[in-house]
Amino acid sequence: MKPSNQSSLARTFATGLLLLAAGALTGCATVQPWEKGNLAKPEMAFDGDPLQARFEQHVYFSKENASGGYGVGGGGCGCN
Amino acid sequence: MRSTHLEADGPRFTLPRASSAAPARDGRVGAVVAAALALPGIAAAQNAPESAVLGLKYLYYKDYQPGLDRIEVNSPSLYLLTPLGRSWSVEGSLVVDSLSGATPRWHSSISSASRMEDHRTAGDLKITRYFRRAVVGLGVAYSTEDDYESRALSADLRLSTDDNNTTITLGTGYTDDIIKPNPGSSVASDEAKRSNDFIVGLTQVLTRNDIVQVNLTHARGRGFYSDPYKFLDRRPSERDQTALLLRWNRHFDSVGGTLRTSWRSYRDSFDVRAGTLGLEWAQPIRTVTVTPSVRLHTQSAASFYVDPIPGTDVPPVVSLDPPFYSADHRLSAFGAITAGIKVVVPLGRSWAIDAKADYYEQRGEWRVGGDGSPGLAPFKAQFYQVGLYYRF
Amino acid sequence: MFRFSLLRVAVAGALMLAALAPLTASAQAAVGAAAPSFDLPGTSAPVRLADLRGRVVLVDFWASWCAPCKLSFPWMNEMQAKYGPKGLQVVAINVDSKRADADRFLATTPVQFAVAFDPAGNTPKAYAIKGMPSSFIVGTDGKVLYAHTGFRDADKDDLEEKIRQALLRR
Repeated sequence: MKPSNQSSLARTFATGLLLLAAGALTGCATVQPWEKGNLAKPEMAFDGDPLQARFEQHVYFSKENASGGYGVGGGGCGCN
Repeated sequence: MRSTHLEADGPRFTLPRASSAAPARDGRVGAVVAAALALPGIAAAQNAPESAVLGLKYLYYKDYQPGLDRIEVNSPSLYLLTPLGRSWSVEGSLVVDSLSGATPRWHSSISSASRMEDHRTAGDLKITRYFRRAVVGLGVAYSTEDDYESRALSADLRLSTDDNNTTITLGTGYTDDIIKPNPGSSVASDEAKRSNDFIVGLTQVLTRNDIVQVNLTHARGRGFYSDPYKFLDRRPSERDQTALLLRWNRHFDSVGGTLRTSWRSYRDSFDVRAGTLGLEWAQPIRTVTVTPSVRLHTQSAASFYVDPIPGTDVPPVVSLDPPFYSADHRLSAFGAITAGIKVVVPLGRSWAIDAKADYYEQRGEWRVGGDGSPGLAPFKAQFYQVGLYYRF
Repeated sequence: MFRFSLLRVAVAGALMLAALAPLTASAQAAVGAAAPSFDLPGTSAPVRLADLRGRVVLVDFWASWCAPCKLSFPWMNEMQAKYGPKGLQVVAINVDSKRADADRFLATTPVQFAVAFDPAGNTPKAYAIKGMPSSFIVGTDGKVLYAHTGFRDADKDDLEEKIRQALLRR
C-alpha cells in the first residue's frame, strides 16, 4: 500500500476514534447498567454464532480477494 | 485468513464469546459492550462466562458455473467454550473439511478443469484471563491438508471503561505456513509463507438500542503466494493488507427486530481495493428468530491479473515477460451478492438448533465503482449450515 | 511506516480510554451512608424501605434479561426462609422497562420474598448501581452495610456471611 494511503487510513481511523471518544465523554449518551436490556439480546451481539462465523469467513476468504477486520491469528489454508 | 473472531446471529440463549476482537463486557449482566449476556456465559470484561457452551455445526457447500459443477465441501465442526473458575476461560474449535471436485486451471475454462480431492483438519484454542477492567487472551491455531500446513499464534488485550460502554481492543498474530508439493501442483519443494497481523478496535455503546464497533486490521506477509494448481501463476512474494470494519447493531422496540449493518473497506499491495456491505435483520417471532441477510461485495482486480483472450477458452497469454501474472478469477474485478436466511429455534433453556441457507453469485459486470473483468463465467455457490448449541 | 501510524493511533486510543475512566466513574451508594429510600408498587401491596426499618434488608436489583439473576432467585429464597425469622427481609427490585417481561420471569421462578417494580429506573439510579444484578445489605439503622455487583456460585457464602453479621449487629 502506498504510504499516503496508509497514513490517510490511519488518520480516518484516528478521527473515528476521537469522535466516538468525544461521544462517550459528553455523557449524554452514557447508558446505565439497568438500561441495557435490549443490548443484552442475542441478536444484538456482534459474534453470536462462532461456528457460523468461522465457516463464512473461510468461504469468502477462499472465493474472493478481501479478508480481515475481525481478528488476528486465525491461521491459513491452501484454499486461496 | 480465517480469523478466530466471531460474527453474527446466535440462538436465543446467546453465546459467550472470548475471541480476539470480541468487545469486552461486564460480568454483572447489566453492562454490555458486546451484547448477548442474556443467558449462558458472557465473555465479560471482569468475569469469565457464567456457563459453558458446546456447539456442533455441519456445512454443505457447492460451487458451479454454467456447464461445470465445481467444488463440493462437507464440513462438520465442533466448538467448546468453558469457564475455569471466575477469572479464566478456554475456547476451542475443530473442523474437518472434505473437498472434491473440479477447478478451472485458468479463468473459467471448463476444458482445463482438473479434478481434485482433499481433506483438511483445523483447530484452534484460546485461553483468556479476566481482570477487573482488562481481558487478555492467547490463542493458537493449526490447519493441515495434503499440500498445506498452517500454524498461528495470537494475543489480544481488551480494556474497558468503568461503565463498560467503551472497550478498546489491541491484538497481534503471527502465522507460519508451509506449501507442500502434491500431484498436479507446480510446487517442487516446500515453500513458506509468514505473516504478522495487527488489530486495533473500539466498541461503543451509543444508546440503549445501539452498539457500534470500528476495527482496523493490518497484515504484512512474506513468502509464496502463487496458486500451484493454476496453469500460469506467479504472484509477488509479499503482501500487505489493510481492512477497516465498521459494524452497527440497532434494535427497534416497535417491531422487536434488530438491524445489523457492517461495512468493510479493504486494500492490499496486490492493488486490490474492495468494499463489502452486510445487512441482516433478526426478527423474533414468538421464540423462533428468523434472520434474512444480504451481502454485497465489490473488488478491483489485482495489478497482475490477466484477462482472457475474448471469446476463447485458451490459456492466458503472458507477453513481454511481466514479473507477475495470474488468471485466477478470484483476483479479477467483480461484484458478488449473497442472499441468505437463518432460523434459530430454542429448545428449552439449554438447547437451540439453527439452520441457514445462502446463495452466492459473483459476476464481473456487477462490480461497483469501475469496470468488471471481462470474459469470465458467472460463478455461483450455495451453502447450507445446520447446527446445535448446548449450554451447561 | 504504516505500522508506526497504527501504533500511534493505538497508543492515542489507550490514553483516551485511560482519560475517560475517571470521568465515567462514580461511586455507588456508599457503604456507611443512609440507604436511599423507595416507595414502589409490589405484586400486591406497595413496598417501602421506610416500613422495613428495624429489619436487615437485602435490596437486590434484577431484570428478566439478566442471566445471573435467574441463579440468584433460588438463593434469595433460601436466605429469606433461613434468616427471615431472624429479621431479614429480601426486597428484589425489578428494573425491566416492560412489566410483561418481569411477569414472564416471575411466572417460571418461585418467589418467597418481596418483589417491587421500578420501570422508570429511579431506584437503581439513586443507588448508583454499577452492573446487574446488584445487591445491598441495609442494616437495621437504615445504613448501607455492604454492596455487591454480580452473582456467581462463589459469591453465595460471602454474601450469606455478610447477612449473618448484619443480623448480629441489630
